[in-house]
Amino acid sequence: MKFTALKNGGDWLAISGAVFTAIGLGTSAAQAHGFVGDRFFPPTIQTDDPFAVDELAFPTVTAFQNPGETDVSFSFSKEIFPKFALAFFETYVNLAPEGMPSVGGFDNLSLNAKYQLLENVPHEAIFSVGLDWDVGGTGAKKIGADSANLFTPTIYFGKGFGDLPDALKYARPFALTGTVGEELPTRADPNNLDWGFALEYNLPYLQSQVKDIGLPEPFKHMIPVVEFAFSTPENRGGGPTSGTINPGILYENNYFQIGAEAIIPANSDSGSQVGAVFQIQIYIDDIWPKLFGHPVFGE
Amino acid sequence: MKTNLIQRWPLICALFLVLQSPAWAHAFLDHSDPTVGSTVTNSPREVKIWFTQELEPAFSSVQVQEAQGKEVDKKDVHLDEKNKSLLIVSLPKLVPGTYTVNWHVVSVDTHRMQGHFEFTIK
Repeated sequence: MKFTALKNGGDWLAISGAVFTAIGLGTSAAQAHGFVGDRFFPPTIQTDDPFAVDELAFPTVTAFQNPGETDVSFSFSKEIFPKFALAFFETYVNLAPEGMPSVGGFDNLSLNAKYQLLENVPHEAIFSVGLDWDVGGTGAKKIGADSANLFTPTIYFGKGFGDLPDALKYARPFALTGTVGEELPTRADPNNLDWGFALEYNLPYLQSQVKDIGLPEPFKHMIPVVEFAFSTPENRGGGPTSGTINPGILYENNYFQIGAEAIIPANSDSGSQVGAVFQIQIYIDDIWPKLFGHPVFGE
Repeated sequence: MKTNLIQRWPLICALFLVLQSPAWAHAFLDHSDPTVGSTVTNSPREVKIWFTQELEPAFSSVQVQEAQGKEVDKKDVHLDEKNKSLLIVSLPKLVPGTYTVNWHVVSVDTHRMQGHFEFTIK
């Protein structure tokens, strides 16, 4: 498949539909998404989670007010072999600078391969490796899509704190996930170290594993989270570290997760405008267990 | 017209799959008796766990262990006759102490889940 052909929404939708249907042809036993032992790690919004599983996020809407920008994203991940998944990510960007006509278009297509290298069930820990590829030239130049490829080898980790002693049992619902990736541009741009992490307090975990404190709906299905996403230039005059701090809430349902976070600049080098992001994560392995939740090849 | 159909085809396809597929999901623990992390004054006669989905009885189990890890339940795990999402195991009269409930279940769509919690008898 030549992804450079994906230059407009029609082609992109048609091809994504073909992928969707082709995946539906293979079925076998279902397996869980985002679990290490007793611990469920929810998919986070700003930092990729460490799981190589079937995931569908649509839409992810990101908005900033001044200058105006609204992004609508779609991402899909499919486990191809056990613990190995391929994913693609696409964003439609609409820019509306003050006093100027708005302009919109698709950003570069992003592809990802990820492998879950290690899992430690008693310690609720996971470690994965992967590679991101922002495919240069697949996006619209009018919204500033880069013509050069960008490769980012990345490590992913997750750690739940269910192994804390009894004296700290109310800290057991905490979990930390994160990523560290080295951007490798294919032209003379700065190399950046992309790093981020998400700290969450899993109220469903508290209710079902530690102490049923009688939380009512909808709170018993909520996970407060703070995500931190940073980029540190390493050379070629790339400037200081910049990034965002993103506090928010994830709400878990049997079939989907709804998430909303604020986007707050972490320092003066990260800009001054506050934004917001909203996402629906569809648990496709629950809605279509015969189609998703298992690798295409192998068990 | 043809272009519109091609563009909308994946959405039509997704809608078709939604309509065709029965919706199932992972079986999460909803609540239990004794409740998770609770302290009770009398030895309970059984442990009941309500899940969010119906379970496969052949692949679903509950073990109640005392502090040293010895299983103390009557090993008669079964689903409630009227409620296939309620898993039950009987207990003998237990002495005061802290007990751990370990559960492994498979929901009717074959999703595996596991978990554990404690309760204390005063």
